[in-house]
Amino acid sequence: MLFFSFFKTLVDQEVTVELKNDIELKGTLKSVDQFLNLKLDNISCSNESKYPHLSSVRNIFIRGSTVRYVYLNKNMVDTNLLQDAARREAMSARK
Amino acid sequence: MSFFGFDTSLPNQGKGAGREKRTATPDKPLDFDETYQGLGEYENEEDDYLNNETFGNATDLGTDFDFGYGNGEINNGAVPTAAQVDHGRSYASAATTGPAVTNTGYAAAAPHSMDEGMDFTPMESLWTNQPMMMHHPQQPQHPQVLSMEELERQQQQQQVGVSHGQQQAYMGMPPMPPMGYGYAPQAFMPQAQVMPGAAYPSAPQGMPPQGLALPPQGMPPQSMPPPGMAPPQYQQHTLAMQQQPGAHQQAAHLAPSVVSPLAQQELQQSPHLVQKAAHPASAAVSDFATPSPPHLINSKSAQGQPRLGSPSQMAPSSQDSRESTPRGTRRGSMRKHQEPLSQDDFKRLQVRQAKVDKILRHSGVMTPRDKDFITRYQLSQIVTDDPYNEDFYFQVYKIIQRGGIVGESNKGLIARAYLEHSGHRLGGRYKRADVALQRMQSQVEKAVTVAKERPQKNRENFDGAKEGVLGKISSAKNSKAPRRQLQIPQQRDEDEDISSSAIEDVVESLNGVDISSSSRARRRSSYAFRSVDQRAVLSRSGGRKFVLSLIETVYAEVLDLEALLRSGKETDSTHLWESLHIADDAYEVSPFISILSFDKGVKIMPRIFNFLSKEQKLKLLYCFFSELSHLNIIVTSSYKTNPDPSDSQLKKIELFQSVFLKIIVSFLSSSAEFLEVLGLLLALVKNNNVSFISTSKIGLNLVTVLISRAALIKQDVSRGSVLSTVEASSWNEIYDKLFTALETKLAAVFPPEEYTSRVVVTSSNGTPTSATVGQSSGHQFYDQSYIWQFLASLALSGKLNHQRVIIDEIREEIFGTISRAEQLVKNVPAEEQQIALYQRDKLYQDLNLFLNVMGLVARDGEISELK
Repeated sequence: MLFFSFFKTLVDQEVTVELKNDIELKGTLKSVDQFLNLKLDNISCSNESKYPHLSSVRNIFIRGSTVRYVYLNKNMVDTNLLQDAARREAMSARK
Repeated sequence: MSFFGFDTSLPNQGKGAGREKRTATPDKPLDFDETYQGLGEYENEEDDYLNNETFGNATDLGTDFDFGYGNGEINNGAVPTAAQVDHGRSYASAATTGPAVTNTGYAAAAPHSMDEGMDFTPMESLWTNQPMMMHHPQQPQHPQVLSMEELERQQQQQQVGVSHGQQQAYMGMPPMPPMGYGYAPQAFMPQAQVMPGAAYPSAPQGMPPQGLALPPQGMPPQSMPPPGMAPPQYQQHTLAMQQQPGAHQQAAHLAPSVVSPLAQQELQQSPHLVQKAAHPASAAVSDFATPSPPHLINSKSAQGQPRLGSPSQMAPSSQDSRESTPRGTRRGSMRKHQEPLSQDDFKRLQVRQAKVDKILRHSGVMTPRDKDFITRYQLSQIVTDDPYNEDFYFQVYKIIQRGGIVGESNKGLIARAYLEHSGHRLGGRYKRADVALQRMQSQVEKAVTVAKERPQKNRENFDGAKEGVLGKISSAKNSKAPRRQLQIPQQRDEDEDISSSAIEDVVESLNGVDISSSSRARRRSSYAFRSVDQRAVLSRSGGRKFVLSLIETVYAEVLDLEALLRSGKETDSTHLWESLHIADDAYEVSPFISILSFDKGVKIMPRIFNFLSKEQKLKLLYCFFSELSHLNIIVTSSYKTNPDPSDSQLKKIELFQSVFLKIIVSFLSSSAEFLEVLGLLLALVKNNNVSFISTSKIGLNLVTVLISRAALIKQDVSRGSVLSTVEASSWNEIYDKLFTALETKLAAVFPPEEYTSRVVVTSSNGTPTSATVGQSSGHQFYDQSYIWQFLASLALSGKLNHQRVIIDEIREEIFGTISRAEQLVKNVPAEEQQIALYQRDKLYQDLNLFLNVMGLVARDGEISELK
């Protein structure tokens, strides 16, 4: 649940998603579910000339398993809190 | 043998096609071909003589009263009778006679038939009309031609020929616009169904409900997806009708059935099984279309019969109808209106039909309850009844972001997001987005309950009942328990348990032993120790792994305590205290000191302090000051042991200053008594090499904090109540001790030139830290203010002779600083004047911190008395 919980805090923030097929999409994260499927709005493709079919796409639903990276702004993450959350997760897993 | 005693086991003579197919195992879903016993295909029924017994011999059979046995013999006899009896009733005649004949209502006809046909006339009328709805203009050929069909056709031709002109009367209405007829086909269907059922008592079971649900489907035989779905009889009759000369005219009546699927489906907006909807529809229509009671009874019995069937037969068949109906409906209806409708109407209808088909293709597959159930279980995967535990990051992050105000409830957010996700945000047909949201919120509520009921942490049994509710989740990894990069055998835990329990034994045995005495016994004091080798220190406090695991234990304790605090419960710091191992004498160096060697150990300190009592804090600090020389950060920040500090080391120093030093200062200034401060200072002086500590920035800072705090309290106290003689004398004693330790080494607090320049270079290459100051990154210089602060506080607490010693020892540094300040201004080019002036002012400022204590001030290269 940690990543789900984490990505939920990114909702309505602008992120860049790199897919496993090398397509990079920048857009506003609209929602995320427990599979880390992502819904992006107002997307723009970083390599539009290579993937022209994406130029007319405004919003997109990405299956979580196809995501390679999600690039974030540094200030979108509270690392200390994330450490705590990770520890809590590990603790609850141990129990 | 009577009607109900009819032998349901198959008659021996059976050789119809349907019968032969009847080989499927009972487990398989029922198929018409399997269940239909082929009774309609008998050439000859030997038990015909029983008909009288069953139906009563007074009944005057019409043409139509042929339950499928029809052969020439019966037909010939029946046809003329039917012509008389059924006059004024035949549906088929409507087209030929036109609206003019409207008056002859079925209502009127019914009594007539009652009179003549006795108890079984209704059946007769049903039979008469049943084929009507089967008409199809375009059915030149039947796929399979059976001899039986030919017989049927003959019969039908005769019958229809006779009954032309009666059709109108049957409906009791003039030809109507499509909508008006909307239900008609359905109304008929049950009747059609009844016939076989009534005629062959064993048939009902073989005629599962799908017959009811499939009215339009039966029309064009080609359009029937499962070949066996529509009873062959339908096909036969349909064929028969198609081949009549007047058949095409009946299309006008069939037009209604074009619309009927629409009407029917609209009725089912709340998508239930088509079949279910068909029941009320047919019932309603039979009411509407046929005032005659027998007719009504028949249609009802048609509905009733399938239910008599065993459940095993019911279930699969209803499934069949569910699957096949939309498609069959669609295709059937598309064809039928080709002729009757004008081109425009037809096109419009077609478009509409196509749209509706698209929408309804799979509509009704799930009931709202089904959908709610699925939604609930889907939601149950993403909600939790314990958000602070399972959704910790999100919850706390939101609170931090909103400045402690909890915004929209988590459940509301989830409901909103899920609506977005599922595309229901528009609120469906009535555009009631608010209602949709409310509904979803209640779903979320329920989902929380589901989540609660979910087997707790089913990490061991991934195959838990609801684990894969949302699709296939491979058992090795899922969102709840992602695949781990490292598989650490659980065995290790036990080992650690053993070792830590051993430690606890040791701790217990040492309980009650005075800390200071025991530490003296252990010779923890560190006069001789001056190693940068961190591993040596760590190994003396249990080893790196042990210390790291300690830190994690501490984190776990703190997180637990914080969770308790959040939920408003009492916190008990006993476990936390134990996990800090402060009073643990099992190691040469206290593990607590080693905890502070790691950044994460330093970072947790403020949070630890939130939970410790004052007494515990004091003990902790006592331990800390006693073993200060072992502290990694002292070693790192001393120019003697670490003459070339790296960027990361400077950062560590910075972190320690900003985190731990801050705690100490705030603790000392807020709650420490004078004697307690003295106690800490004594611990520091007694157990450590003060002159070594004073070569490090952190060490000097710590000493400064202690003596300045003591000096402040002393001044406060002297202003208020009088400092007790014991306190005053012990303060003097301790100060003397400290001063003695520092005497002759005071100049050593100033780091050499090479060290400071290295620090400047390192920190200007890396991240700027407070070790250096300067207006721009290009002109950093080593910040010596901490040294002058130390000297100032030392001088402040000392007597005149102490101050004189200090000045004597650092005289060179004082004048060196002054000359450096003056040099700065002289030798710089004009454009860097500004920077140089700032630097000079800073140097004087720091120097004057110390000089002011003794009533002196340095200005413009000279030292004068402070006025």
